[in-house]
Amino acid sequence: MLLDRTFDVSTVPVAGASLPAEALQSVQQFLFHEARLLDERRFDEWNQLWAEDGRYWVPRRHDQENPFDHVSLFWEDAMLRDVRVRRLNHEHNWSQQPPTRASRLVGNVMVDGVDAAGHLIVRSSLQMTEWRLEQRQFGATVFHKLAATDDGGWKIVLKRVNLVNCDGVFGILEVFF
Amino acid sequence: MSLTPEAIAALVRPDSVHRRLYTDPDIFALEMQRIYGQAWIYVGHDSQVPNPGDYHTTRIGDQDVIMVRDTNGEIRVVYNRCPHKGAQLVAAGSGNTGKFFRCPYHAWSFKLDGSHLAAPLRKGLIDTNYDPKHPDFSMRPLARVDSYRGFVFANQSPEGEDLLSFLGGVTTSIDNLCDRSPVGEIEVVGGVFQVMQQSNWKVFYENLHDTMHAPVTHESSFMAARDKAAEQGEMPFELLIMDGNGAPWEFWEALELVAYPNGHGYMEAIFDPAAATRDPVSRAHFESLSKVHGEDKAREILGMNRHNTIIYGSGSPHTVFQQFRVIRPVSVDRTMIEIQTFRLKGAPAEVFDRAITYTNIINSPSSNVMPDDIELYRRCQQGNATNGGDWVSHHRYVGTDKTTEAGMVSTNGTSELPMRNQFAAWKKFMLQTPAQENRHVA
Repeated sequence: MLLDRTFDVSTVPVAGASLPAEALQSVQQFLFHEARLLDERRFDEWNQLWAEDGRYWVPRRHDQENPFDHVSLFWEDAMLRDVRVRRLNHEHNWSQQPPTRASRLVGNVMVDGVDAAGHLIVRSSLQMTEWRLEQRQFGATVFHKLAATDDGGWKIVLKRVNLVNCDGVFGILEVFF
Repeated sequence: MSLTPEAIAALVRPDSVHRRLYTDPDIFALEMQRIYGQAWIYVGHDSQVPNPGDYHTTRIGDQDVIMVRDTNGEIRVVYNRCPHKGAQLVAAGSGNTGKFFRCPYHAWSFKLDGSHLAAPLRKGLIDTNYDPKHPDFSMRPLARVDSYRGFVFANQSPEGEDLLSFLGGVTTSIDNLCDRSPVGEIEVVGGVFQVMQQSNWKVFYENLHDTMHAPVTHESSFMAARDKAAEQGEMPFELLIMDGNGAPWEFWEALELVAYPNGHGYMEAIFDPAAATRDPVSRAHFESLSKVHGEDKAREILGMNRHNTIIYGSGSPHTVFQQFRVIRPVSVDRTMIEIQTFRLKGAPAEVFDRAITYTNIINSPSSNVMPDDIELYRRCQQGNATNGGDWVSHHRYVGTDKTTEAGMVSTNGTSELPMRNQFAAWKKFMLQTPAQENRHVA
């Protein structure tokens, strides 16, 4: 359920995390790979990066506490992410003709610590240039909560995108940040 | 071509309107005077300014105004302009200004009703024509302010019908929205979205009751929701509200479209008294209303199953999911939509959860449904700027609409009655000369 209030949306670490250099590099590569999949509109593959119950969240307010008592620009579980991808891929998606093109620059990657369930909390900066009929520029601080997988990889448990203009006036937002 | 009354009248035919209505900046400027200068326009809900000194900035047409609660608890609406140098008194947004407004430029101050309070170093104004009692030295209030069940409206013209007469039969939708609360009261909470459309404001009003577009424009979103529901073997609320646009033609033809004078109206969803007891959220809501009113009344309130309501010039309340899409014209080809969500006081918490979910999924900038609408509004704006033809058609079922005591009703749910009704109101207001215009001439 989308408004399941037991879902831990906090990105404040409960403990620190010290990662070996290789692990830190694998986190960075994971974020770069994620941005690349979105840039190349490989949305189905992007959806495979998520933990089963993972949530994608773009708050409407700075310092918004939760997505339950307040509207959000995005608050999507696996079902809604999949519906969005199906719509983006539909041949009669009038507002995607021509499609949205975007380039994402991910940097300033830092591991902040872990949450109560032991997920890694990673902070990064995002610059995204988007083109569809006109150019738009987005800037955001992004928090990923990542769960380690058995094969040494990562799955996204939470992706929180804090847009610098989250409380502004928007045109339509069709693709993921 | 000058906009004489004859020229304006010729732009609206019984079954079509001239494309200039959407593309001509001079017509837009005149609309700001004659529609937004004479009609009652929704400013905001009184729950947005609960305490004395609370203010909320908004717009009436091209005018920046402030809604503020004064020290007596009364709601005032004043233009956001200091009479000294013209600076905006408060920045855009909401806040509390205390017991008075104080201009950040030269510290002229004003009571919460806008009247002059003080100017510093007053000795420099002695023996001049400065007169603190003269209206030229106060913030100007809107000519008329009134409210209906917490919905605050203002009118820039001192003349014309009162708020209740202006609203007419559309008050039934406001009543139903409020009556869905067991205590009859609602409040704006949970934040507001602001979405910019690249099109003329009238296109959106037309679309709100345009049943013929739903299965065509929204194919990508209802098919995505439908396919997903089939794959997972269930159709939860989040998908159901996207799936509805894909109903077959017979469904839309069977709907009823109701039109009231002044461009207002509503579109009926399927009347189904059993809907009140089918899903857990509705059942809890039904029980909370039954406790206060009894089952018959509760069934009557929840059985009034309306889709979009239109309050022309103000926007579109949605009674069943407690939203108000407020429509603010920005320029001839830009329109800003503010989406408010209401909490029904005293209703179960999950009713508000459902409202928030509806706002997020249908009315957020990231909605999967709205982009195809907005794309088509933009294409109308672009297409109507070409020389490819002069008239925009509203022919469907013209001449078949039935007159009722309160207004008109369609004989077929795909009728373009709502558009014809809106343009009748447009023409009426555009052919009236506001008192202010006369004053400027004199």
